[in-house]
Amino acid sequence: MPPAAAPIAIETSALTKRYGDTLAVDAMDLSIAAGQFFGLLGPNGAGKTSAIHMLSTLIKPTSGTARVAGCDVAVDPLQIRARIGVVFQELALDRTLSVAENLRFAGLLNGMSRAEIKRRGEELLEIFGLGSKRDAPVATLSGGMRRALDIVRGLIHAPDILFLDEPTSGLDLPGRRAIWRYIAQLRAAHGITVFLTTHYLEEASDCDQVAFLALGRIKLRGDPRALVEQLGRHVLEIETDTPAVLAERLNARLGEALVEGDMVQFLCNQPLAELSALQVELAESVRAVRWRRPNLNDVFMWVNRPVGDLRRAA
Amino acid sequence: MSAAAVGAVLERELLKLARQRGRLVAALARPLLWLLVIGAGFAALGKGNGASDYQGYLVPGVIGMTLLFGGMLASLSTVYDKESGVMRMLIIAPIAHYWIVIAKAAGATLVALAQALALLVVLAVLGFIHPPASVLLMIAGLIGTALTCASLGILIAAWSGSVDNFATLMNLVIFPVFFLSGSLYPVERLPPVLRLVASINPYTHGVDLLRHAEFTGAGGAAFSVVVDLAVLIGFSAVALGLAAARFSSASANEPLVRRLAQ
Repeated sequence: MPPAAAPIAIETSALTKRYGDTLAVDAMDLSIAAGQFFGLLGPNGAGKTSAIHMLSTLIKPTSGTARVAGCDVAVDPLQIRARIGVVFQELALDRTLSVAENLRFAGLLNGMSRAEIKRRGEELLEIFGLGSKRDAPVATLSGGMRRALDIVRGLIHAPDILFLDEPTSGLDLPGRRAIWRYIAQLRAAHGITVFLTTHYLEEASDCDQVAFLALGRIKLRGDPRALVEQLGRHVLEIETDTPAVLAERLNARLGEALVEGDMVQFLCNQPLAELSALQVELAESVRAVRWRRPNLNDVFMWVNRPVGDLRRAA
Repeated sequence: MSAAAVGAVLERELLKLARQRGRLVAALARPLLWLLVIGAGFAALGKGNGASDYQGYLVPGVIGMTLLFGGMLASLSTVYDKESGVMRMLIIAPIAHYWIVIAKAAGATLVALAQALALLVVLAVLGFIHPPASVLLMIAGLIGTALTCASLGILIAAWSGSVDNFATLMNLVIFPVFFLSGSLYPVERLPPVLRLVASINPYTHGVDLLRHAEFTGAGGAAFSVVVDLAVLIGFSAVALGLAAARFSSASANEPLVRRLAQ
């Protein structure tokens, strides 16, 4: 939770976006303090991108209000666009121009002077590992480098808030890790507010605050470490041919089960000795029994577990 | 800030034009082919009918042709931009979205003018043009025609959804606009219906204004300077206004945003 004195970077109240009969974002309430690293998490189609588009003033909310960088999205869209950086899912770069030319174009569009663009661009290219690529055509850069450049493009005008919409989708693991290393360096150097959407949940574990979105509604929010901790000490995973039967049988001892295919999961706070005993007991009748520490993925799965008539694919 | 943004778009257009040498060569080859091959052919056909200087008559027409193709193609490229990273940079910039229309139209006008100036140099070297009777009318004719063609292209681009439409648009728009103008033959000698269409065609008035500047000695202007200027300025203003309104409205903007960043 942010301290009460911290200025608010993003605040929404019942923010809603409706496309025809589809409710893309349903009465979203957010409060993100300046300098926070916020993660909006959820599967594809949950409404993450619609939320970013409303906050970055590219589409109008159907109802509700949002204030970004101190301005109302409905009243001062230009003021807001001057103070935010947006990195879309698809690259916002001109492939026919060089790295420096792209930054110059983006900087001039933001009303910066050429000297300012050069100074800020060089600093950012250094942080994002592109210091030696100034004059390279974008078409010759690797996917990871293009993405890094796209983030530099979003930061060129020194925005207060950076929106990152699935910044690592389509990148290989080293590329994704590099992007997160750069973002961490950037936050350490500039203390910028970062609003991230992702469906790679492990990438959100460094966030100060996360919100889980499903079908346009926020299902759960909080500090990711606290959310993981609240879930339980261990996750017990049992692989079996008869998941429903097993879930029923162990219900009294282990509580509610999460069944996914032939996998039955329980959240446990029992001492490990007890789990070891269970492992021995089940060894002959099931394919596998193992326990591990929970993570954000587990939080997401348990939040979105099928319950009664709310049955949905997580 | 908006003026700086327009400047950035203009700079990018010129940078791209300077890099794409082939585009400039094509922009020069097309009108020269018309002038030197088709012009010579028609002149031979018309010999003895008093059409002594058909090529001289054709010169303002092929200059107009360069402005038409250059301006329309440059502004129709906005259709490509709609699906590219450049448009993402433009829509997130802190400028009102109608400035994107103005900047793209200004860029297309500039590109068309640059190509026409290159052609003028070639034509001067070949001896097809001499110093104009009115430099002012020459400048007005060049800029007015370029702006009109760029505005027409932007108007179409604002309403056309995908790149697939692009080639169809080219054939359905550019060629009729070119053939139904005073570029190749005098408007007043066309059959009544075609003459009416050509008179409404704003591009006709661009070429007509160039004829008023008298730089070939062939004459042939069919309308008054005032009418030509009024049509060029009026059409450009209306076309840009409509395109800007379309581009700023949520109903057009939201599908664009969604396509740019699903």
